[in-house]
Amino acid sequence: MNAERLKGHLDMLLLSVLARGPGHGYEVITRLRDSSEGAFELPEGTVYPALHRLDGAGLLASTWEVVNGRRRRIYRVTAAGQEALAQQAGQWRAFSGSISRVIGGATVVLPGGSTAIPAWGRT
Amino acid sequence: MKGEWGGGRGPGGERGDTASGRPEDPVEEYLDRLLVTVPGSPRQVRHTLAEVEAHLRDAVAEGIAAGLPEEEAEAAAVQRIGPVHAVTGVAAAFTRPTAALARRVVLAAALVAGIALVAVGISGLVAWLLVVVRGDQFLTAPWGPGTYTAADCARWMAADPGHNCVAAMLDDHVGDILLQRMAAGVLGVLALAGYAVLRRRWRDRATMTALPAGSAEAVGAFLALLATLGMIAAAVDLEITQRGAGAGQPFSLAAGALLATVFFAILLRRVVTRPAG
Repeated sequence: MNAERLKGHLDMLLLSVLARGPGHGYEVITRLRDSSEGAFELPEGTVYPALHRLDGAGLLASTWEVVNGRRRRIYRVTAAGQEALAQQAGQWRAFSGSISRVIGGATVVLPGGSTAIPAWGRT
Repeated sequence: MKGEWGGGRGPGGERGDTASGRPEDPVEEYLDRLLVTVPGSPRQVRHTLAEVEAHLRDAVAEGIAAGLPEEEAEAAAVQRIGPVHAVTGVAAAFTRPTAALARRVVLAAALVAGIALVAVGISGLVAWLLVVVRGDQFLTAPWGPGTYTAADCARWMAADPGHNCVAAMLDDHVGDILLQRMAAGVLGVLALAGYAVLRRRWRDRATMTALPAGSAEAVGAFLALLATLGMIAAAVDLEITQRGAGAGQPFSLAAGALLATVFFAILLRRVVTRPAG
């Protein structure tokens, strides 16, 4: 999934990744890549404006710490961030559930005239 | 600082720190581009640079651990992090050198014009004092006969009853001059307010370094000094040739220009004596 389609969801994804434990920017992008099994492909630098924005909005809190000999900015989810994540995740589950219900019974016509339910439409 | 990151080892001697400082090091070049592009206060700039450098060095170390040669790992790290504007969140067009120079010129023009107009406004106060001390004719000479009509006289005397036409004319002209000087002062304050707003928004290093430091102040001081000398010469000329009639205008403008010269000189001195780095 490319960066354009991730727009609008990046904040939720970053909050979700950091809700599992604090981390610096590179850790965040690594966890995002690993937990999505490589589905999310975006320029790694795009996380920084989002992290700074969430920090400024009080949904994340950051501190500078020395990790492996290098000074790094560690981000943590705040209570407000946890609330925002719960709200956004709930909205996403409701939205994706509705989409799944609509496309769940869809069929496609194959060459030769037979029909099949595509893998994404099977429940 | 020199040599702190040299030799392939960081301060902790950790494995995989490949800050080589080579001129062609893609990570160093990326950080150089980021430095002149990232907006914000000096602290925000430092923090963003530190974050991104740590990110790139981690990515390079990961690439080397995966078996890539150092140069390939560096190139891959820079490619993966994406263009500089992805990190800064600023549109790519904003970061072009010509755009940065245009912004810097606008800032310089706003500063010089703002101070100049405020100086004209202050000269209005000086002009008013001169009228009080030496009368209307010191500020403006009356128009010669034949250059105004009876209707003009009627208009002036209606606004200034109890005076003859020439006195009413002088009163009207003095009022116009003081009003114009005051309007210039107000415009100057607005221009300086605009300068302050734009300077806060355009704090990226590309804009701030597009012109040599202090260039706006130096140009302003030079122009103000020229204006001071020119106005003094005009005032002296009128004193000699017209017994001072109208000399108050260039004289008061010279006072304003002198103030502007001093103000620009103070600003320039602050820039020049600012600690380096």
